[in-house]
Amino acid sequence: MIAIPFAALVMGFLAVYVLVPPVPPRWADYVAIAIIAGLDAFVGAARNWLERRFDEAIFISGFFVNMALAALLAFFGDKLGVDLYLAVVVALGIRIFNNLGRTRALLVTARLEARRAGMPASSD
Amino acid sequence: MKSGARHWLLPLTAVCIVLGGMLGIQVRSQKERGEMQVGRQTSALVGMLTRTEAQLEQQREETGRLRALLAQYEEEAASERGLVRVMREELQASRIALGAVAVRGPGIELELADSTRRSIGGIGAEDLYVIHDADLLQVANELWAAGAEAVALNGQRLVTGSSIACSARLIEVNGVAIASPFLFQAIGDKDKLVSALNIRGGVLDGLRLLEFPVKLTTNDEITIPPLSVTPKHIYAQPVERESKQ
Repeated sequence: MIAIPFAALVMGFLAVYVLVPPVPPRWADYVAIAIIAGLDAFVGAARNWLERRFDEAIFISGFFVNMALAALLAFFGDKLGVDLYLAVVVALGIRIFNNLGRTRALLVTARLEARRAGMPASSD
Repeated sequence: MKSGARHWLLPLTAVCIVLGGMLGIQVRSQKERGEMQVGRQTSALVGMLTRTEAQLEQQREETGRLRALLAQYEEEAASERGLVRVMREELQASRIALGAVAVRGPGIELELADSTRRSIGGIGAEDLYVIHDADLLQVANELWAAGAEAVALNGQRLVTGSSIACSARLIEVNGVAIASPFLFQAIGDKDKLVSALNIRGGVLDGLRLLEFPVKLTTNDEITIPPLSVTPKHIYAQPVERESKQ
């Protein structure tokens, strides 16, 4: 089941890589920051999933809206001559790191609990 | 969790497609950027190569010329009189370039004077209607650029090392003070000289705009005097070249 999203990721990558012409260099920064925002939504979703409060509406909306907002913020920063780009990178970077750490902690805890209960660790 | 799979599978797939696509864009354009830089470096290298080849070609020509000259010397060496003639010719060419002899030939005469227009007032405003050393330098430069072979300003021969400098209200050429009106004489291709001076937006264009009297005439017989004082070389010494080959 998990293979379907993974396949989608690869297919999306290949389709765009082959079909879409490269974006102008000044857009590259915005695309990069949108990717960071998407990654943040992804990691956040993983954490929520483990904490059993995952909601697909929040995930989907968070993914797309954060992506757009991050790119927009960077764009406005460029227009104002302020490196808001950096602020976005730092903020998102810290969040991704926090969420990754939290996810790891949850996974380890779950594994330890499973072992203590005398059951083999299962991954849902 | 199998029953609840549907509610995350679809959004996750959609998100993955988008994320994959964006990664695709980014990787693709980063790659393009790198290739562009390589292209730029390549074109710079090609430019260097072309320049070097041009220099090489020039030096080859120079070598050929010198070899021919050497052959000529050797040939003329047989008869002493021939050698003397060749050397005299070369000496003559050097003398013309140095301004050591008067020269004659077709060319142009250019007369410039301070503007008839007077400034309405204001300190320093009248400077606008006076010929400056920079104007004369610009004219001289324009003449050389148009291939003038000999140039004189108010009877002062302009050669390498000649200066046109401002000193108080006068202008010094080769250390001799001159004043308006200024007369340039130049020997060379008349048409070329005239069109170079009259070029749109050039020095004469600017002077005419401010109502400076400018008189440009061509002449088939212009005589340009030699340099009044031959420059002395106190510090510069020729380098003896050992010609062992």
